Amino acid sequence: MSMEDYDFLFKIVLIGNAGVGKTCLVRRFTQGLFPPGQGATIGVDFMIKTVEINGEKVKLQIWDTAGQERFRSITQSYYRSANALILTYDITCEESFRCLPEWLREIEQYASNKVITVLVGNKIDLADKREVSQQRAAEFSEAQDMYYLETSAKESDNVEKLFLDLACRLISEARQNTLVNNVSSPLPGEGKSISYLTCCNFN
Amino acid sequence: MRPKMAAATAPGPKALPGESGGPASSALSMERIQSLTDLADLEAAYSRLCEEEKVVQEELDALLEQQSTIENKMVALHRMGPNLQLIEGDAQQLAGMISFTCNLAENVSSKVRQLDLAKNRLYQAIQRADDILDLKFCMDGVQTALRNEDYEQAAAHIHRYLSLDKSVIELSRQGKEGGIIDANLKLLQEAEQRLKTIVTEKFDTAMKQGDLPQVERFFKIFPLLGLHEEGLSKFSEYLCKQVANKAEENLQLVMGTDMSDRRAAVIFADTLTLLFEGIARIVETHQPIVETYYGPGRLYTLIKHLQVECDRQVEKVVDKFIKERDYHRQFQQVQNSMMRSSSAEKIEPRELDPILTEVTLMNARSELYLRFIKRRVIADFEVGDAMASEEVKQEHQKYLDKLLNNCLLSCTMQELIGYYITMEEYFMRETVNKAVSMDSYEKGQLTSSMVDDVFYIVKKCIGRALSSSSIDCLCAMINHSTTELESDFREVLYNKLKQGFPATTFQDFQRGVTSAVNIMHSSLQQGKFDTKGIESTDEAKQSFLVTLNNVEVCSENIMTLKKTLESDCSKLLSQGFGGEQAQAKIESCLSDMAAVSNKFRDLLQEGLNELNSTAIKPQVKPWINLFLSVSHNIEEEEFSDYEANDPWVQQFIVNLEQQMTEFKAGLSPVIYDTLTGLMTSLIAIELEKVLLKSTFSRLGGLQFDKELRSLIAYLTTVTTWTIRDKFARLSQMATILNLERVTEILDYWGPNSGPLTWRLTPAEVRQVLALRIDFRSEDIKRLRL
Repeated sequence: MSMEDYDFLFKIVLIGNAGVGKTCLVRRFTQGLFPPGQGATIGVDFMIKTVEINGEKVKLQIWDTAGQERFRSITQSYYRSANALILTYDITCEESFRCLPEWLREIEQYASNKVITVLVGNKIDLADKREVSQQRAAEFSEAQDMYYLETSAKESDNVEKLFLDLACRLISEARQNTLVNNVSSPLPGEGKSISYLTCCNFN
Repeated sequence: MRPKMAAATAPGPKALPGESGGPASSALSMERIQSLTDLADLEAAYSRLCEEEKVVQEELDALLEQQSTIENKMVALHRMGPNLQLIEGDAQQLAGMISFTCNLAENVSSKVRQLDLAKNRLYQAIQRADDILDLKFCMDGVQTALRNEDYEQAAAHIHRYLSLDKSVIELSRQGKEGGIIDANLKLLQEAEQRLKTIVTEKFDTAMKQGDLPQVERFFKIFPLLGLHEEGLSKFSEYLCKQVANKAEENLQLVMGTDMSDRRAAVIFADTLTLLFEGIARIVETHQPIVETYYGPGRLYTLIKHLQVECDRQVEKVVDKFIKERDYHRQFQQVQNSMMRSSSAEKIEPRELDPILTEVTLMNARSELYLRFIKRRVIADFEVGDAMASEEVKQEHQKYLDKLLNNCLLSCTMQELIGYYITMEEYFMRETVNKAVSMDSYEKGQLTSSMVDDVFYIVKKCIGRALSSSSIDCLCAMINHSTTELESDFREVLYNKLKQGFPATTFQDFQRGVTSAVNIMHSSLQQGKFDTKGIESTDEAKQSFLVTLNNVEVCSENIMTLKKTLESDCSKLLSQGFGGEQAQAKIESCLSDMAAVSNKFRDLLQEGLNELNSTAIKPQVKPWINLFLSVSHNIEEEEFSDYEANDPWVQQFIVNLEQQMTEFKAGLSPVIYDTLTGLMTSLIAIELEKVLLKSTFSRLGGLQFDKELRSLIAYLTTVTTWTIRDKFARLSQMATILNLERVTEILDYWGPNSGPLTWRLTPAEVRQVLALRIDFRSEDIKRLRL
C-alpha cells in the first residue's frame, strides 16, 4: 500500500435531487470548471482529487450520483462504502429542500452508521431567487446533527472549503478510529467491529 | 626588356647587411665598435664580424642563384600581355550583348503579362457568357424536362441555376435583353417552385404506395433543389413507416407466441432485438444514398428522425413487457418483501430468475444498438467535419450525446435496469439465505455446501448484471455483492464460529455428559435451538472446523471472483462499452470487494486463535505442566533410568500427535499449518514458564537438552514454519543449563557470542543460571554481563 502516493483515501458520495448542482460542485472542485448547460448525470460519475492537508496527502474519491429517480437503485449501492455523504439542495428550489427528509431516510437505510453527512445549499449566486432561507436550513441541519454550508459552484464560493473541511474531519475521525481499534484489541469470538475506515488508513 | 629586367634585379645586391635595420644587420653597432678600446675586445668583435660576413656572403650567393628562374618567369609574363588586351575587348562585347538581351526579355515578359491578363479576362467573359447561355439553356431545358416528366433533368437544370453566380444573373438582367431575361428568370423560378411541389407530391404518393424505387428516385432530387433537410425528413418518414409496420407485425407475433416456445422467456428481448436490427439494417442500406446525394455529415439528421420512431416502438414493446411479465407488480412485491421481514409474504426468488435474465438481455441489446448508432454517426461527422472548426465538431458531438442520452429508449432502459438492480439484489440475498439454511456437510469434505452455493449465486448475479452491458448496473451489483458477503454472509460464518469449539473428547471423558448439557443450555439461552450443534460434540467440533475451512475458502473465492470479473470487464470495455471512467469505476468497486477477502482472513485468524486458546491450550498446558513432576535435579543413576524409561517428552509428543490428528483431518492444509504454528508458539511459551519453575543439576540440564531436541525434532516434522526461531530462547536456556561452571557463560556471551544472537537479557541469563542448584549465587552475581 505504501506504493500508493497518499496517506488517506476517502470515498465521498454526493446525493440530492436532480438539478441542484452536484456535478457542478464536483467539477468546480476537481477541475476548476463550471460547465454551463450540463446534461443530467447518467448513473454515477467518478472523480479523484488528491489534496494536501497539514502535509498529509489525502486522496478523495468523489462519486457524483444522478439525482433522477430512475437511478436511485444504482446510487444507493454506493452509500455503504461511503466515508462521507454530501447531501445537496438548491437554495432557489423549495422542492429540493423539502425532499431532504426523504434523503435522510435513505441514508439511514443504506449508509454506514459512521458516515459523516454534510448538508450543502448550492447556487447562492442566485440570491434574488432564494426560496430557502439560511436560517431554516441551519435549523434543519442542527436538528439532524449535520454540518451545514452554503456554496456557489458558479462563483466558486465555499466549494474548496466544503471538501477540505470534510477531508479534515474525515482524517480526525479516521485517527480516532484507529486509536479505538488499537486500544481494545478484539477478543476472539467477540464482536469485533470492522472499522469502515481501516481499509483507508495507511498510516 | 633587358634593362628593365636588370632594374628588377638591382635591389637584390643592394640590400646589404648593416646598412639598414634589416634582419641581416650586425649584432654589433657601429658606436659599440668605436667605443671599444681593449685589444681583446676588438679581436673578439672582429672575429664576430668576420663570422657575420661569412653568413651574409652565403645568403647573397643563394639569392643570386634564383636570378635566372625569376628572369624566365618575367619573359613569360611579357608574352601574355597582348592576349590580355584581346580578352578585354571580348568581355566588353559580351556585356553589351547581355544587356541587350535583358532589355529584350523584359519587353517580352511584360507583353506576356499583358497577354495573360487579357486571357484571364477573356476566360471570365467566356464563363459569364457560358453562365448566361446556361441560364438560357436551363430556362428552356426545365420547361422541356417538365413537359417530359423528366424530373431528374429538370432538377439538374434547377440545380445548375441555383449554383450560378448571382451576380451573373444580375448582370444579364442589366444587359440589352434585360426584359427577356427577366421574364425567363421568372419562368425559371416558377419552374423551380413547380418542381418542388411536384417532387414532394410524387414522393408522398410513392411513399403511400410503398414504392421504394420511386421513393429513392425523388429522395435523390431533393438535394438538387436545395431541400436537404426536407428530403431527409421525408425519407425518414418513409423509413419510420417501414419500421413501424415491421414492429407492429413483430409485436403481433409476440402476442401469439406459445409459452412453450423455446424463446418464450426472452420474447420481449427478441422483439426489441428485431426492432433494433431492422433500424440498423435501414441505416446500413440507406447510408450510401444519403452520403452520395446529400453529402457526409447528414446521417445524424436521418437518425434523429428514425430515433423518434424507434422510441415509439420501444415504448410499445416495453409497455407490453411490463404488462405481460407483471414487471411493476413483481418489483412492488420485492420491495414489500424487503421491507417486511415476515417470510410468509415473501416472493419466491426463483420466480424472478427468468424476468431478470430477460431485462438484462433487453438492456444489452439496447446498448449494442446505441453503440452502433453512435459509431455510425461519429464516423459520418468525422468525414463531414474534416474541414470544420473545433467548435463545430464539439457542437456536433454534443448533439449526438444529447440524442443518445435523452432518447426515450435510454430513459426506459435506465428505468428497467433501476428496478432490475433492486430485484437482483433481492434475488441474491434470498437465494444466499436459502443456501445458508440448506447448508449441508458431507463427510470427507473440508467445506460445506453453502460456500460453493453462495459464490455460485453471487457469481451468477454479477454475471447477469454484466450481461446487461451497463457498467453502472454492473458496479451496483458488485457493490451489493460486497455488502452481502461482508455483512450477511460473513455474519453467518461469524456466528457459527462464535458457538466455539467444544471441549475435547479427553475432557468429555472427564466431565461426562455435562458439556453436552452445557452446550444445549447455552443454545437455549441464545434463543436458538440448533439441533445440529448439540447432537454431539463431535458434530459441533466438525462444524467449527468446517466453518474455519469455509472462511478460508471464502477469502480465496473473493479474490478469484475479483480476478474473473476483471478479465470479463476488460473484455466488455475493449468492445467499447461504457464511458471514459468505466474502467476506474469498476476498479474501485472491485477493490472494495477485494477488501472483504481480508476481512474473511481476519475472521479466520480470530477463529484459529479461538481454537488455539479453547481447544489446544487447555490440553497442552497440563501436559507441559507434567514436566514439573519430573525431577531434573538428578544424578547418574536417574539419568540412565530416564534414558531407559523416558519420563515426559515421549508421552508429550504422543499426546500432541493424537490431538493434532483430529485437526489435520478436519482442516485445510493451509489452516492446519497456521494452527500448528500457533501451537508451537504456545508450547514454547508454556515450556519456558515451567522451565523457570524447575531446578536442575548438571545432568538434569543435559536431560532437558535431550528433551528439547526431541521436541523440536518432532515439531519440525509437523509444520512448515521455522521452529528454530520460536524455540531460540529455550535452546539458549538449555545451553546455559548445560554449562560446566558459571563463568563458562562468558565463552558464549558478548564478544565471544560469534554467530549466536542472544534472545535472553542478562537478567534472564542470571535467572536461568540460578536454576542450576550447583551454581553458587555469589558467582552468578559476580558475573559481568
